Amino acid sequence: MNQFDEQLAVIRFQPDEEWQHVLILDDAICQKCRSKQCLTFCPSGVFRESTEAKQPLMVLYKQCVECGGCRLICDNIDFSYPKGGYGVTFLEG
Amino acid sequence: MLKHWYQAKKIVESEKKSNIEIDTSNVKKYDVVVVGAGPAGASAAYFMAKQGLDVLLLERGPFPGAKICGGTSLIAEHTHKLFPNFWDECQCERIVMQQAYWIMTEDSLLSTSFQSLKFTAAPYNRFTVKRRALYQWLVDKAISAGVTFQCNYKVSEVLFDGSQAIGVQISPPQKKQFFADIIVLADGANSMVAEKSNLIPRVSPQNISLYVKETIVLPANVIEERFQLAYGYGSIIGLLGYPTAGFNGTSSIHTFQDSININVGMTISDFSISGIRPYELLSRIKNHPFIRPLLVGGAVVEYGASVIPEGGYYAIPEIVHPGLLIIGDAASLVNGTHGINLAMWSGFFAAQAAYESKKKRDFSAKKLFLYRTLLDESFVMQDLKANAKIAKLQQDLPYLFDLYSKIANETAFQISKVYTMPKKAKRIFIFKKITSMQPLLKMASDIWKVIKVVRG
Repeated sequence: MNQFDEQLAVIRFQPDEEWQHVLILDDAICQKCRSKQCLTFCPSGVFRESTEAKQPLMVLYKQCVECGGCRLICDNIDFSYPKGGYGVTFLEG
Repeated sequence: MLKHWYQAKKIVESEKKSNIEIDTSNVKKYDVVVVGAGPAGASAAYFMAKQGLDVLLLERGPFPGAKICGGTSLIAEHTHKLFPNFWDECQCERIVMQQAYWIMTEDSLLSTSFQSLKFTAAPYNRFTVKRRALYQWLVDKAISAGVTFQCNYKVSEVLFDGSQAIGVQISPPQKKQFFADIIVLADGANSMVAEKSNLIPRVSPQNISLYVKETIVLPANVIEERFQLAYGYGSIIGLLGYPTAGFNGTSSIHTFQDSININVGMTISDFSISGIRPYELLSRIKNHPFIRPLLVGGAVVEYGASVIPEGGYYAIPEIVHPGLLIIGDAASLVNGTHGINLAMWSGFFAAQAAYESKKKRDFSAKKLFLYRTLLDESFVMQDLKANAKIAKLQQDLPYLFDLYSKIANETAFQISKVYTMPKKAKRIFIFKKITSMQPLLKMASDIWKVIKVVRG
């Protein structure tokens, strides 16, 4: 387990199995995108490179901490907050 | 029976036509619906209910404060004026007696620190608080004043009749609608409800900062020893320079009762263009030779991230709309990095405006504009106005924090270092050293720019 996984492991989540709140709108844009800023930007590593050429990015929405920053750096990301009661829970301030 | 079937079918069809069908019949109408139970929303709800309004407060998290993180301090005077003697009621972590700034490079640390026993008696100066405790306290106050509170309710958009806001749509699974004369949006930075409802433009990534934090648990006496604090008192340390790896941004350490918070943040656009991973920036600070010893033996209990609007005065959107007010972080009412205190005040002013509107049964933007007028006349807007150009300055001088923390540390190093050279020669040597980092004229122009902004 690397250090980042340890950091993620201490966050409490109530994942929504039925509905994904972070989406890639068009995979074709990701295929052409050179910068892929989402890969480094996301504080909880929601966006990961995949091995499939058709769908270059995986969206691990269940570990999203809901800062909402991704939608501001990329128009191809459709972010909305999870449904009421789901998602991350912070306890420690 | 056929008629019933026909009517039922008609409803289904009309639902298909537009997924939001407004049905105001047999629905209870509130005076005010407040979206978001943070400091702004809960304060607004509290002061509205206190004046006799029927208020519904909605929160998308399972409890108040569940969706936000980051070390924070409550400023005593700001809060005391709204909630007298709040320190007797709200569970505060530590009374802040020490305020410090550490200007850092990778191997040095120049600190300015002030501590005083004057801060340790009422009316105090600042408190460190955990968001969960603070938000819960505010919501409890609101509930006891008569507010109806619902958590796990996420508002997806505002419902309009023409341009007049008349209610809110709750996203599934509840799919309910709530109606009110006034809607108050307090859904925080990155206000998607306001944006989706076309009330404000999308925030620019230059005007919003991403902060990551870690909470590290340490025994209370260890915290007091390491930060040189008296029993029960706390410190807030601002870290500048090294923490943001060459960009403009801030980092801080907040001491809680038996844990400490380390935060670091810079604008979203800086993060995205730099390619620095936010959590790597945080662990880089934790491994700094002068920070690491403070954290030895501590266990990380929570990691998190959130955004803070930092566009300042010029980034404040249109905050008064027909039947709708935007308050707190959603209205970009953040000065420097402190927004909680301004948020509570904006909630208070929104409550005054809502009450006046209700009294006259006039919910037009013109009547509700009292909110903006009260804000403008208060310290909230005046302070924001005074600091209005800081965001622009940071964009104009992207090297500001980095270069000058290096210069400050270099100067301090050269002054501290004892050379076998005459004093006069040393002065010339130091002068040459500093001007080699930034030419004198350039430095003078930077200082002039900073002074101009600070003077307002």
